[in-house]
Amino acid sequence: MAHRWGMVVDLDRCTGCEACVTACHAENNIPTVGAAEAARGRAMHWIRVERYWEGEFPEARLTFRPVLCQQCDNAPCEAVCPTYASHQTDEGLNAQVYNRCIGTRYCANACMYNVRFFNFFHPQWEKPLQLQLNPDVSLRESGVMEKCTFCVQRIRAAKLEARAEARELVDGALQPACAQACPAGALVFGDLNDPESRVARLSESPRGTRLLEEYGAEPKITYLQRQGWHEPDIQ
Amino acid sequence: MPRNSPGGRRLALFVLLAAAWTAGAACNWAGRAEHEQAARLAQPSRWGTPSVFTTAHRSAADAFRAFFDVRPDTMEQPVAFSHQLHLEKELVCTDCHEGVERGPVAGLPSVNTCLICHSQIATDRPIIQDITAMQEKGVDLAWRRVYGYTREAHVRFEHAPHIRAGVDCSTCHGDMRQQTVARRVVEMDMAFCVNCHTAKQASNDCLTCHY
Repeated sequence: MAHRWGMVVDLDRCTGCEACVTACHAENNIPTVGAAEAARGRAMHWIRVERYWEGEFPEARLTFRPVLCQQCDNAPCEAVCPTYASHQTDEGLNAQVYNRCIGTRYCANACMYNVRFFNFFHPQWEKPLQLQLNPDVSLRESGVMEKCTFCVQRIRAAKLEARAEARELVDGALQPACAQACPAGALVFGDLNDPESRVARLSESPRGTRLLEEYGAEPKITYLQRQGWHEPDIQ
Repeated sequence: MPRNSPGGRRLALFVLLAAAWTAGAACNWAGRAEHEQAARLAQPSRWGTPSVFTTAHRSAADAFRAFFDVRPDTMEQPVAFSHQLHLEKELVCTDCHEGVERGPVAGLPSVNTCLICHSQIATDRPIIQDITAMQEKGVDLAWRRVYGYTREAHVRFEHAPHIRAGVDCSTCHGDMRQQTVARRVVEMDMAFCVNCHTAKQASNDCLTCHY
């Protein structure tokens, strides 16, 4: 059976440390644009950690929510792309093909999660930082859209390795950079079509919700809502 | 003229170049923006290092060459290595291109690989003496790539799965028995890849190669 990649984000576990953001930048060759361009909304982060203040001081509480491409089954970005650069793969990935992208930016406008980023400039790295670029991932040039790929290079590598060794993929062995870097284990990645996988079991949790589910995009990322603090019953 | 012959390609290329040149002149405002960016790039970095690494092309000519894939069919190599001579001695490709069955890159041999045999064989030849001297100095051979894709092609190619699928080296690299220093004899455009993938019922999804 074909894979169907998905993710579960446990909001109770997220501490907002942004290790996922750093790992994603390193893995996927995401450039930084500098303070001036970031202020104009041109910063690129395939995953970001949103902060929410709840309540008034002194009962204020800070909560976090990592937001990345939701890899929607019924993705609004795909319907608007005139060149099919944004399309759904057999494994449920919302693919972005840089070669096909002509930079209309329709997809970024259609995406309600704001997780698509346009290369307004040629990316730059101050030397010698170019030596840390990941050779398994393209360098995107000016004029193309980019977004979270669920670390498709890792999925490819893991599948090729499994095929070479004539075995099935092991649940949990394949992780995107963000999930691998998360110290609290808040991000769980896996195959939703495998009923035994951790991500499939967690995505059916009663705590599970999806971002902006009411718009019908059918995102594949499940957010496990925070639970209230329960004092243990001590006899 | 066959589609993949270098001559046919060059002819098509000149026509395209002329069209692109006209289009380029019509929108020189874009060129001005490029000029401003180039000025920004020329400033020294935080660490005083001379420049930054960027995906931008160094010049318009460089961009044209990349777009139309204009590049020489052969490169001047550090050593005039003869594939023909070695294959006649019944060596196989994997003796020197060791990574080809294991990972993405086949690998270009280091001086140590050469000297596995040449510490004993043909040690009186000047080339071999040069290589021995290089190993003693700790210098390696700076081979230059003959095949490969431009950055804009966004192609991620892995050798190992192709070898496992039983694709012969000569399918993509030509008959190396006819070549001394490696030449680019097979034009690896996307049609070339897709035709083979279709014939072998391999995936033709974009994400198979482009990511």
